[in-house]
Amino acid sequence: MQLVIQNLNKTYSNGVQALKDVTLTINQGMFGLLGPNGAGKSSLMRTIATLQEADSGSIQLGDINVLTQKEEVRKILGYLPQEFGVYPKIDAITLLDHLAVLKGISNKAERKGLVEALLQKTNLWQARNKNLGGYSGGMKQRFGIAQALIANPKLIIVDEPTAGLDPAERNRFLNLLSEIGENTIVILSTHIVEDVKELCTDMAIINKGQVLYKGSPLDAIAAVEGKVWTKTITKPELENYRNSFSIISERLIGGRPVISVLSDQQPDGGFDRVPADLEDVYFTHIFGSTKTEVAA
Amino acid sequence: MFKNIFLFELKYRKARAANYIYFAIMFLFCLLAVTTDVVRIGGAVGQVKENAPIVIGQMIVIMGFFMTLISSAIMGVAVLRDFEHNTEAILFSTPIKKFHYLMGRYWGSLVILLLVAASLPIGFMIGDLWPTREADRLLPFNLLTYWQPFCIFVVPNMFFTGAIFFASGALSRKSIVIYTQGIMLLVLYIGTSSLLRDIEQKEIAAMLDPFGVRAFNFYTQYWTPGERNTLQIPFEGYILYNRLLWVGVGILILVINHFAFSFNVVRNSIFKIKAVKDELIKIKPEETRIPLAQQYTSFTTHISQLVKLTVFYFKMVFKEIPFLAIVIAGILLLLVNAINLNELFGTKSYPTTYTILGLLSGFNLFFLIISVLYTGELVWKERSVNLNLIIDAMPMPDFISLISKFFGLLLVYIVLIAGLILTGMVIQMSYGYYKFELSIYVGTLYTETVAFLVLYSLLSMFIHVMVNNKFLGFAVAVAFFILVSFFSQMGLEHPLFQFGSGSLGTYSDMNVYGHFVTPFSWFQVYWMAFVVFLFAIAVVFSSRGSEDVIAMRWKAGKLRLSRSLITLIVCTTVIFVSSGFYIFYNTNIVNEYSNKDQREKLQIDYEKTLKKFEFTPQPRITDVNLKVDIYPSKRDFTAEGHYILKNKTDKPISDLHIQENVGSELKTDYLKFDRKYGVKEKFDEFDYTIYKLEEPIQPGDSIRMDFKVSFVTNGFVEGGRSNTSVIFNGTFFNNQYFPSLGYFSGGEMSDDNDRKEKGLPKKERMMERNDPRGLQQSLFGDDADHVNFEMVMSTDKGQTAIAPGYLQKQWVENNREYFHYKMDAPMCNFYSMISARYEVKREKWNDINLEVYFHKGHNYNVDKMMLGMKDALTYYSKNFSPYQYRQLRIMEFPRYANFAQSFANTIPFSEGIGFIAKINDPDKDIDYVYYVTAHEVAHQWWGHQVMEAGVKGNAMLSESMSQYSALMVLKHKFTPEIIERYLKYELDRYLLGRASERKKEQPLELVEGQGYIHYQKASLIFYALQDYLGEDSVNAAFRRFNNTWRFKDAPYPTSADLLKEIRKVTPDSLNYLIKDMFETITLFENKTDSAFYREKGKNEFEVKLYATAEKLRADSIGIETPISINDWIDIGVYGKDKAGKDSLIYLKKHKIAKKENAFTITVKSKPRKAGIDPLHKLIDRHSNDNSKGLLKRDL
Repeated sequence: MQLVIQNLNKTYSNGVQALKDVTLTINQGMFGLLGPNGAGKSSLMRTIATLQEADSGSIQLGDINVLTQKEEVRKILGYLPQEFGVYPKIDAITLLDHLAVLKGISNKAERKGLVEALLQKTNLWQARNKNLGGYSGGMKQRFGIAQALIANPKLIIVDEPTAGLDPAERNRFLNLLSEIGENTIVILSTHIVEDVKELCTDMAIINKGQVLYKGSPLDAIAAVEGKVWTKTITKPELENYRNSFSIISERLIGGRPVISVLSDQQPDGGFDRVPADLEDVYFTHIFGSTKTEVAA
Repeated sequence: MFKNIFLFELKYRKARAANYIYFAIMFLFCLLAVTTDVVRIGGAVGQVKENAPIVIGQMIVIMGFFMTLISSAIMGVAVLRDFEHNTEAILFSTPIKKFHYLMGRYWGSLVILLLVAASLPIGFMIGDLWPTREADRLLPFNLLTYWQPFCIFVVPNMFFTGAIFFASGALSRKSIVIYTQGIMLLVLYIGTSSLLRDIEQKEIAAMLDPFGVRAFNFYTQYWTPGERNTLQIPFEGYILYNRLLWVGVGILILVINHFAFSFNVVRNSIFKIKAVKDELIKIKPEETRIPLAQQYTSFTTHISQLVKLTVFYFKMVFKEIPFLAIVIAGILLLLVNAINLNELFGTKSYPTTYTILGLLSGFNLFFLIISVLYTGELVWKERSVNLNLIIDAMPMPDFISLISKFFGLLLVYIVLIAGLILTGMVIQMSYGYYKFELSIYVGTLYTETVAFLVLYSLLSMFIHVMVNNKFLGFAVAVAFFILVSFFSQMGLEHPLFQFGSGSLGTYSDMNVYGHFVTPFSWFQVYWMAFVVFLFAIAVVFSSRGSEDVIAMRWKAGKLRLSRSLITLIVCTTVIFVSSGFYIFYNTNIVNEYSNKDQREKLQIDYEKTLKKFEFTPQPRITDVNLKVDIYPSKRDFTAEGHYILKNKTDKPISDLHIQENVGSELKTDYLKFDRKYGVKEKFDEFDYTIYKLEEPIQPGDSIRMDFKVSFVTNGFVEGGRSNTSVIFNGTFFNNQYFPSLGYFSGGEMSDDNDRKEKGLPKKERMMERNDPRGLQQSLFGDDADHVNFEMVMSTDKGQTAIAPGYLQKQWVENNREYFHYKMDAPMCNFYSMISARYEVKREKWNDINLEVYFHKGHNYNVDKMMLGMKDALTYYSKNFSPYQYRQLRIMEFPRYANFAQSFANTIPFSEGIGFIAKINDPDKDIDYVYYVTAHEVAHQWWGHQVMEAGVKGNAMLSESMSQYSALMVLKHKFTPEIIERYLKYELDRYLLGRASERKKEQPLELVEGQGYIHYQKASLIFYALQDYLGEDSVNAAFRRFNNTWRFKDAPYPTSADLLKEIRKVTPDSLNYLIKDMFETITLFENKTDSAFYREKGKNEFEVKLYATAEKLRADSIGIETPISINDWIDIGVYGKDKAGKDSLIYLKKHKIAKKENAFTITVKSKPRKAGIDPLHKLIDRHSNDNSKGLLKRDL
């Protein structure tokens, strides 16, 4: 099964164009959607998850037209929105059971087994009888993951799933996803480059509603390999460098600015070549797109 | 710091559009209320001017009540918004003092609230200066009229309610709690209304009502129209106390709020957090395998999802604290109301199931609140907790979410109703009543109430879905319900426009649900189709996912238009339209429909066209001989027979004016005379025909008029407009359905303001007392004097048909019951026809047959009625004259009307007033069953033996004399305390009655059909009269009056004739009484200022009483002028009897000739209290200050 998105456009009523001619093909396995806040990741994911209308374009999931055959999509969908809440006065096991009913797990014994397994899997077993109102952010997030896995979905859409998870939980969750992702389409949006690098076979970078890059993370890294240069400078110099080089990232190490520049040759003597990272790819694209826009 | 916060609050609020909108809405409401008929709130009636202080005051108080809603919106969020916008953590960490923070916010918001509230006086002020207003209905402009009630009522109310909402918002940090507070206030307000009904609890109600409305009403209740036009709203008495009380409560709340409010962002829960049991078994998430579970998406899955969700939402609502608060508040209110169950004169009635159902209907308001609140809450449930995206992505059909919410709510209603039934039964049990009629509970609550809830819930859901904004949704829903209630004033009177119309009517034990079931069912089909249609539309437009814009929702919604949904939409449309047509066909085609304007126009045209015939000489009916066949199961009857008409004038009559009944069910099959005649003129729209006889009727000559009329019930009309006289069981109608002679002046428009608006001249309510034309006609009209009466009635098998007269023969023919009645002496031309399934109780009193016909099971008070008849017959025949018939019958009729009425030897008595009354303690409760019986029996003398002229003062003869007669029977049967209590009610009702007089208050001798005078005032006057003159003297006057006028044809007596007899028994020293009591409106202000006693010796006590006495004379609008006093007034001293109760140890009339008086009285036992006119024999607007407890003092 393949998810084919073609020429998808969406403009909100306030005039913001969330999706601009998005075309993507997503295969089984983990697909990472990378982009800064407000890039249109969530809009795209909601549209795939049948929760939002598109102005034009098409989304095809196997034989299913996602934009019109919503019911069919929902049967095989597992969705974790970026932000969500819960009924505060209900405990986890009850709500998960409730959601399983809605997913169509009609057999009571099967449902019970499933719900318990999911709670164990997401490490919520001890807190299963606690009202969801008392859950911490991370616990709530894990509950969200648990519900997205009900009924063995064929299409899993998880919007910023690792936000709010501590490193251990994050690892556990990523493992879980990769376990499932073998014969499922898993779309994972994030602004954490690490997530994509560790997990995804395929990825896209979007910003301002546009797809800036699509392909595998390894190809992406290969494309910039050997072109990334860094230099440690002083703060007063920063402005100078900004004007004379295309800086893809600035960060502080030990309180001193370290700038990265994308260049085929060594920009000047102070720059050291470093091994390319996905993050460099990301910044390159985001930076590049901004640049283009400014030029336009 | 306070100043900064205060000013910031003002600045912040200044920028909020909502405040301007609130102002504009309230302003417009007030403006429209006084300048147009579109909005009505209170308003002036009769002679009270439209901008009289009390009228404006009332309107400001009512609108101030609505201001509470705005108060909750403005004051509730003053602190709450910091929590809702999550700014509290930032704010509370700044060095603001709690006191400054709270007070700054409170006073800042309150100032804004008061500025909004100023829209009320400003709106009314501008409205009263509006150029279209009629100057002669306005008083000169006075600023005080607008701003005084604002300061007295609105400002303290805003302070107090503001404090409540402010504190509940600040302490609970939840907006729903604020709304719940509002509902609690409402409960307190409504709760006091049931208290107010009982005159003995009015003071408590006046204090307890937090809005001051009750205090306002209590203080001004006896204001006469004249006073209403002149007095400003005072700030004294109960108004002052009430205001002080609630401002005090407001301050208290602010103090509590100050101490309870905490700057901590996270609060300690009041309840201990349950320790979570730690699972001993350690689970390794990595090792868990997720089992495979079969996913189903079939129809049966969806059904089970629906069931699960329904139960889920049901439980969710039941867990809501505000919901429980509303329910508990509602039930509390029911229990409070159950204390004064169906009281009349302070006497309760049996808690029959329909009485309890009436009580339970008080919960409907709470049902409405629940339905509006929780449809909104449930529609927004997932979105408000932000779970919507997860739920919306679930593989469920689109309708399931909405419909399960509806079903969940429906289940809530069903359970609540079961709870209400249980409450009802508990109330019944607490009264020792065990006749539980579950079928009636279920039959009413699970049909009418559930239907009403379904309609409002689905409509409200539709609104919430379409508006797609939670708070706007609530506003639109409430606005819609208010708008709907104004539909009829905007000309949309037809029940097809009145959302939720078609009630199940009044339940009667006799007629059960009667004919109301059919229209009820059809209207429910019609409205159900309407709301289900709306629901289907809501399913299409309901937001699923993150799209809010209507165009996008339509884009998504189009995909949901499955075949079944389209079928549903088409079906409901078809059902809605076709049931609408069917209803219209029944109400407007098969039956006649007219709206208010059309009816008024008919009245006006009738008067304009035919008034000229009012005094055209006509013959009089001397014989009535009819055959009346009643078909209760079809709700039809026919009446066929003849009248004999006799020319009693001294001129020949050739034109006969026949007025047929204008009811649409009634048809005249034929009408003919026994000599040659032609139709001279016919007025079809008024059913009025002038026949011309070829040969006139000579003076003293008679003709015979034969006719047949048929009353046919076709189809149905809306329950409230339906005929409740001809029914399945308990038919009761009188001869108004039959042709009558000449112009009917009772059909004219009576209100002078209306008449002026329609260009009609002012109209006197009755003819002058000496009008010779009036003296020629009796109170029953000018169709007849006395008539010979004979009637054969038939009815369905199993029912008994009853008419005046004696039963000659009874037989069964063609499976119908026949009864032949004949009266052996001429009687008045006013007769009832009754048919119902009856049980009968028969007794005898001196050869007179007494019968009570009652509905099976209603035998509670039959013996009291029997006793009432016997005692009344005994007293009246001894003191006035012998009873003229050999029989006296009482028959029960259904509670569609609550009265008893006296026909010749026949007294129909409503199911609702006497048959279920419950007299618990004959020494304490007023036995009104006995009393009403005695009153109606008295009419056999006053009205039937002596018919009076139809002129001013006529009711003093029939009604007032019956009041006196019954009161005397009561006096000999019960304790003086009962009589005193009864008179207290009469005084209250008289004073209230004159306060709302629309035209002019008349002295008793010229009463113009004013019930508060000829019943209530007359009780007081005649009771005092017999106290001054002696019972025997008054009886002697009545006896002589009766002797002179008994069984006489025209001319008829007037009140002057009775007064002539009363004068004869009045000593000269008391002659002033006649003037005070009958010829003028005279009131007293008697008051005990102070009272003391000292012990003079053994068993000798001296009482010193300082009392003021004032005598006032009122004009027809109630403006009083003091007049000099020279009256005999009771001075009384109370001691204690053996049982420890107050008892009079001294009571004597003293001559009082000045305002300030001191009395010294010696009594033989220890005195407790003393007073002037302690038994309230004189009419006094402040009767509570007549007596005072005695202080011991050495003089």
